[in-house]
Amino acid sequence: MRQRGRMIRLIALGTGLAVVIAACGSGKKAPSTSASAKSGATASVVMGTTDRVVALDPAGSYDLGSWTPIYNIYQLLLKIPPGGNTPVPDAATCAWQNPSNPVVYMCTMKAGQKFSNGDPVTAQDAAYSFQRIVTIKASNGPSSLLSSMKSVTASGNTVTFTLTAPNAVWPYVLTTGAGALVDQKVFPADKLLPDSQVIGSGPYKLAKYVPNQLAEFLPNPNYGGDDKLSNKEFIIRYEQNADTLVSDVSSGAINVAYRDMSPTQIKSLQGKSGVQIVYGHGTEIRYLNFNYNVMPGSNTAQKSAIRQAIAYLINRQDIATNVYNNTVKPLYSMIPQGLAGHTDSFKQMYGASPNPAKAKAALQAAGVQTPLAITLWYNTNHYGEASADEYTEIQRQLGASGLFKVTLQSAEWSTYNVAITKDEYGIGQLGWFPDYPNADDYTAPFYIDCSAATPNFPNNHYCNPAMEKLIAQEEATTDQAKRNAIFAQIQTIAAQDPVYIPVWQGGQVAAVGSNVTGVPSTFDPSYTFRFWLIGKK
Amino acid sequence: MSSSTGSLRRYLVTRLALVIPMVLLLLTFVFGLMRVAPGNPIQAALGGHLSPAQLHVRMHAAGYDKPVVVQYGEYLRQVFTGNFGTTITDSRPVSQIITQNGAATLELTVAALFVALLVGVPLGMLAGRMRDSWVDVSARSFGIVVYAAPVFFLGFLARLVFSTYLGWLPSSSQASVLVQADLIPHSNILILDAMIDGKWGDLPDLVRHLTLPAITLGLLLAGVFVRLIRVNVIQTLRADYIEAARARGVRESRVVVRHAFRNALVPVITVVGLQVALLLSGAVLTEATFNWPGIGNELVFYLNSRDYTAVQGIITVFALVVVAVSLLIDIANAWIDPRIRYS
Amino acid sequence: MTIAGSLPSPPTGAEVLSGGPGGRRGRARRMLAPVLSAHGLQRWLLWAGIALVLLFVVLAIFAPLISPYGWNQYCAHLVRGACEGRFTRQGRPSGAHWFGTTVQAEDVLARVIYGARTAMEVVVLAVLFSTCVGIPLGLVSGYFGGTLDRVLVLIMDALFAFPYLLLAIVIAFVLQGGIGGGVLTAAVAIMAVYVPQYFRVVRNSVISVREENYVEAARTLGARPRTILGRYVFVNVIQTVPVVASLNAADAILTLAALSFLGVGVDPTAAAQWGYDVSRALSDAQAGYWWTGLYPGLAIILLVGGLTLLGEGLNDVYNPVLRRRGIRRVVLPARTWDDRAPQ
Repeated sequence: MRQRGRMIRLIALGTGLAVVIAACGSGKKAPSTSASAKSGATASVVMGTTDRVVALDPAGSYDLGSWTPIYNIYQLLLKIPPGGNTPVPDAATCAWQNPSNPVVYMCTMKAGQKFSNGDPVTAQDAAYSFQRIVTIKASNGPSSLLSSMKSVTASGNTVTFTLTAPNAVWPYVLTTGAGALVDQKVFPADKLLPDSQVIGSGPYKLAKYVPNQLAEFLPNPNYGGDDKLSNKEFIIRYEQNADTLVSDVSSGAINVAYRDMSPTQIKSLQGKSGVQIVYGHGTEIRYLNFNYNVMPGSNTAQKSAIRQAIAYLINRQDIATNVYNNTVKPLYSMIPQGLAGHTDSFKQMYGASPNPAKAKAALQAAGVQTPLAITLWYNTNHYGEASADEYTEIQRQLGASGLFKVTLQSAEWSTYNVAITKDEYGIGQLGWFPDYPNADDYTAPFYIDCSAATPNFPNNHYCNPAMEKLIAQEEATTDQAKRNAIFAQIQTIAAQDPVYIPVWQGGQVAAVGSNVTGVPSTFDPSYTFRFWLIGKK
Repeated sequence: MSSSTGSLRRYLVTRLALVIPMVLLLLTFVFGLMRVAPGNPIQAALGGHLSPAQLHVRMHAAGYDKPVVVQYGEYLRQVFTGNFGTTITDSRPVSQIITQNGAATLELTVAALFVALLVGVPLGMLAGRMRDSWVDVSARSFGIVVYAAPVFFLGFLARLVFSTYLGWLPSSSQASVLVQADLIPHSNILILDAMIDGKWGDLPDLVRHLTLPAITLGLLLAGVFVRLIRVNVIQTLRADYIEAARARGVRESRVVVRHAFRNALVPVITVVGLQVALLLSGAVLTEATFNWPGIGNELVFYLNSRDYTAVQGIITVFALVVVAVSLLIDIANAWIDPRIRYS
Repeated sequence: MTIAGSLPSPPTGAEVLSGGPGGRRGRARRMLAPVLSAHGLQRWLLWAGIALVLLFVVLAIFAPLISPYGWNQYCAHLVRGACEGRFTRQGRPSGAHWFGTTVQAEDVLARVIYGARTAMEVVVLAVLFSTCVGIPLGLVSGYFGGTLDRVLVLIMDALFAFPYLLLAIVIAFVLQGGIGGGVLTAAVAIMAVYVPQYFRVVRNSVISVREENYVEAARTLGARPRTILGRYVFVNVIQTVPVVASLNAADAILTLAALSFLGVGVDPTAAAQWGYDVSRALSDAQAGYWWTGLYPGLAIILLVGGLTLLGEGLNDVYNPVLRRRGIRRVVLPARTWDDRAPQ
């Protein structure tokens, strides 16, 4: 009898549970919309990516993952045209008040531009957009990009930027995500707008947004710009890992697999039917950073010799081939190929292939005992899983000369990026992703380090007044030919006494379905992924 | 009768009283660990791109240099007001992570539990009944192998075979892109959402996506069930009342089905409760392997980006779930088996 | 956690073996007797477990002698630092590389063998740490009772209820920042998961032993608590540990694999790890390089399976209820809460 009682209670419990679960499900019932969105399949493009969105409000994001949708939802004052690397008008036409002293920059708004809610895009909106970035100073926001902006004002249909110092690259700053124009009637002045509510005047409007899973973009009916759309729906699928990108693009579940596949994954997709690999120009770089205070070597001369010896020994082509299956290119300057001003200064100085004899001579001249024990630090998760392979390769290359005994150490990113700025790593891996496609973005943040208040970002105690003077000159010059000459000098100095040793330059890679068009045209040094160019045959 | 209800009430009161310090302890523990961990969300997101001075300004603005005690106070206040704040890395309300990604985890774990019961219970019963036979040996070996195989390795094999080579089933995420774009999130449990709106056409796609992850995670649990139920059946078959039934001349098949199996099932409730922690741990790995947009996957991401707010929120929810389930199980047990109340 | 948690009621051994202190040889013989007298399937499974575990112990200890290459070797010969005969990357299994080569051109077989070494190091350390912390705490807590006992039980229960993997992940994260990602870090992270289990097992047996006549006698004769704990209680309680330890070791290997799968285990440049290799192999599999993930995964299954067989086998032979010729008695279904309170 007791047994039966227990059993009944057991059943009662189970039934109760089922009822609770069922009740949870029966929330608000929406009208049945069985006509699905699948109808427009021919013109809808699905892109997969492992990038994440930090914020869709331009004041809250400073990362490629957020800027990709932002470039398509919002208009900018200036934009980088497909394949180009100089700014052209988007919602405005701009010019320096006095090109020989680039301090005041004025933009005149084009007529007829509208936000997707119908509001006109005015100069007031533009000034408001820049002002609120500085006011909000979101912790992940782009306010530091605007640090050279002293003030921004609007009168009539003109926006006027006054800068703190001459800055010839300001037009480039306007082409970043920080330059997106927002509607002052919609976006609050002092805080971020929730992602699902954002609107802009760009070619697309955000139709549906499930964070970290899916974003659906539909054409903005009020778009007044000149870009033509090759699709009528663009969907981004956010994936957690790149394996999924590979399997989804092979099965056709996504049309474009963009960022960030490993060399092995790209190789696995080569020659697969229905999939083509698209390579494009990229300006992402990887390099070795030396901390002057804690790197090996007992005096300045020795430290310098050690850096030069490593520059002599690194075989960039082997790294590109053995580790990255040639999806990256050897890099012989901190300024990547494809940007105005690039020279192969490290190749000129140290040769294209390793030179152990010269490395040995450099070390001996400075009295460095060989083999010298050094520790190389690299990061395990921020720069892709192939970092481990890359640094193993460098370890082997330096070890093979007999001049160095290399120990590898790694740390995951949160620890790594703190430690590297706190003098904990003598020699370590770093990478740079550009804010805008200009050589200035590859020199100013790196080589200006003499004032204690504004050290360079790896905080490596480099200081070269000649270098700082050249950079100030370059920033005050709007004439590109003159700037190129200055950058050539900068790169020569950078190679003579290297504080960074450039290793490779990444290209952009996407795997796309064989019927997908337009991806090659959007691959350029600006890293702007233009949804409107992507279509299907 | 009244004494019986009284004892149940007394039991519940003591049991509930223990929950509060336990939850508090877990919260403190999580908070402490996150503060000891190096790095912070701003550094994780923008370190390597901004100079130390610029980073410092941002960290000060976000309040990361406040005294730990103050931060702890704020954290507790948030938890008790049910407001878990907004993530720092991607400005999402933590409550949204919990409802949205939590629903995906719920869908996965419930399906896995279902698989586990479906596979584990019959196998365990058979093995216990036919002890030392080849059935028993295979069931036990099965149990040991699925236990010994890491979830991510099973997932790796399943993806390799069913997805890469055979191409039968999708190997990642919760739904096809177009299906997901089509669904309107009510409960965020996509299968339920499809049913609510009567979008029956979307169901096969959802079920196909659920299959591999649910089986992978379910097998892990099934191993536990096989072993447990086998042992229970063996024990019950030895019990006095079974002997008595046999002695009374009740047919063996009836003895087995009516008495042994039934009683062997009672502890399964307890075990399901005990396995919630295992299930959640397994879910983290299954989600990582199958790109399932669950809460465990999010947790790993936010841990990597040192997002205190998100990690604390998610772990707090995990802790509350575990505590609540164990409480429910204990109450259910006390109700079913009055002996427990008197100990 | 899984197995220890799912077995019926406080693990075993103590009831059979609490016969009071005896001669060392006598005790050893009595402990081993059930192992030797096990028969049939039980014996077979037990010995299979022992053989598997021994195999991996041998691999771990003699790795440099057995392995064809070093775990991070990528050339056939290194002549004065120069690489001669560089291995192919991701090469198929062949005569020179039975299990193929990895993406870093390392030999998979060598990595599997050295992986056994890493796993053993971590697990031995983890089990050692957790017994060293868990057993004394359990002894003290169970013997003295009172407030200390209540507080400890609360803390341990909180830890125990928490999803174990998350606990290990969070601790590993914290430690990696502090002391780097060595074997020690992994061992400590895993230790934290298992301390509560030893604590519970030991505490429960202490409570049952505490009231035994001979302990009572010692107490009345004026023996100090230290003597009683050390001489009488400890020797009885310690006998329950091997079963739990071998089951925990199995679990610890899985936890280590999961940690290194998620990238928070031992630093991959410091040692070969199975879990790390499987995680790297996830992308290989899609390119058709199945061998880089299959073998490390199988190694995990074999070692964990071996330890589980060993643990279950020991449990079977020591547990009178499950022993074939055991005394017939009813064992109450697993309880969750009541066995924590002093009886």
